[in-house]
Amino acid sequence: MTLKFLIAPDFSPERFAGWHMLNTTLQRRSGLRLHLVTPVSANEQSEALARDQIDLVYANPFDAVDMIRTKGYQPFARPKQRFDEMVIATGAGSDIAALEDLKPGCRIALTENRDVKLIGLRLLEPADLTESLIEWVRVDSYQAAARKALKGEVDAAFFLADAYASLTQLTRNQLRILVESAIHDISHVLLVHPQSLAELPALGTAFLEIGKSTGDAELLAALGLVHGFEAMDQEQAEFMIDLMDTLMD
Amino acid sequence: MGITDMAQPDGPSRQSRLTYTDGTSRIVYATEREVAFPQGHLIVSRTDLAGIITHANDAFVEMSGYTREELIGAPHHILRHPDMPKLAFKSLWDDVATGKKWHGYVKNLRKDGAFYWVYATAVPNIRNGNIVGYTSVRRKPSRGKINELIPVYQQWLDQESTAS
Repeated sequence: MTLKFLIAPDFSPERFAGWHMLNTTLQRRSGLRLHLVTPVSANEQSEALARDQIDLVYANPFDAVDMIRTKGYQPFARPKQRFDEMVIATGAGSDIAALEDLKPGCRIALTENRDVKLIGLRLLEPADLTESLIEWVRVDSYQAAARKALKGEVDAAFFLADAYASLTQLTRNQLRILVESAIHDISHVLLVHPQSLAELPALGTAFLEIGKSTGDAELLAALGLVHGFEAMDQEQAEFMIDLMDTLMD
Repeated sequence: MGITDMAQPDGPSRQSRLTYTDGTSRIVYATEREVAFPQGHLIVSRTDLAGIITHANDAFVEMSGYTREELIGAPHHILRHPDMPKLAFKSLWDDVATGKKWHGYVKNLRKDGAFYWVYATAVPNIRNGNIVGYTSVRRKPSRGKINELIPVYQQWLDQESTAS
């Protein structure tokens, strides 16, 4: 039997090879056959989850809410010391010096990443800005968001913090961070389908032991998860979900 | 058992005796020093069903001025500021005890008598259909909203003082 392993579509393109390396390593160490599923958008991910039984998911924390509470997926691990944070940045030459300088009607570039938007909206509250007071400019990538900000085509742009850090130094030099979240409690989650729980011991061990063997450091660097994975139980996931619930409005 | 009276801070401060919903009371001291909410952070805590703190994140520890050891096991009203009217919290326990989310702008009292404003959200922790505790998350509030609420809270305090 081959298990389907879905990766949330919000990783940087340069991590793609890393996920394939991880998939190969997991198969070798667990003795299980894994087929990697890499949707390119949230819509594609929803379609894949609705169409197939996805046995293993590296889930965005906001998607994990529904998977755990409605679909019965069981959390078992998360990346260690790697939290989902976001950045709001403006062009280096912009007149926007602080978050409070963003006014109703301002233009903000963002990707389809829903958790980045949600956290970003919470960070904009001190500036008295709500979703309907902003002119949203949808872009396909964080690179496109950066280009619009540095050219002054938008007043600010939302970034996943990891994606912002992955921009070239030249690009970052032309941007200025207005705020970076430091929530520290929200991360991606590894989930297993309720009908695949029999495979959890082998999968869990394979994930949690990555980092202990020669060559694992290169693999984790390619994933951008240099500290590896740590166990996450149901209550820890529920705690994270309760926390996210407070951010919904 | 209630929490002990606050130590009087150096410099000018106002002394008040606060009586909490559990019937206990203590003397607190409030100064006019405001501590700014740290940009980008969230203050996170959890309590049991009786409102006793069971979890405090680093931002909570830092902003409250207490140590984590002092916070864990203490009632959440250890943060209650004398400028906060009871009416502002009226629906909190009713809402969360019936499974609803609660929001409110709150002026919190630090251990050193200074204060910080937050926009607070509290949700019940529901496990297997039962409420087992509460999570509270405080984020940086809108200054405009706070300025609107300060006279409203003062009016409520005056009404409470007249009624008692």
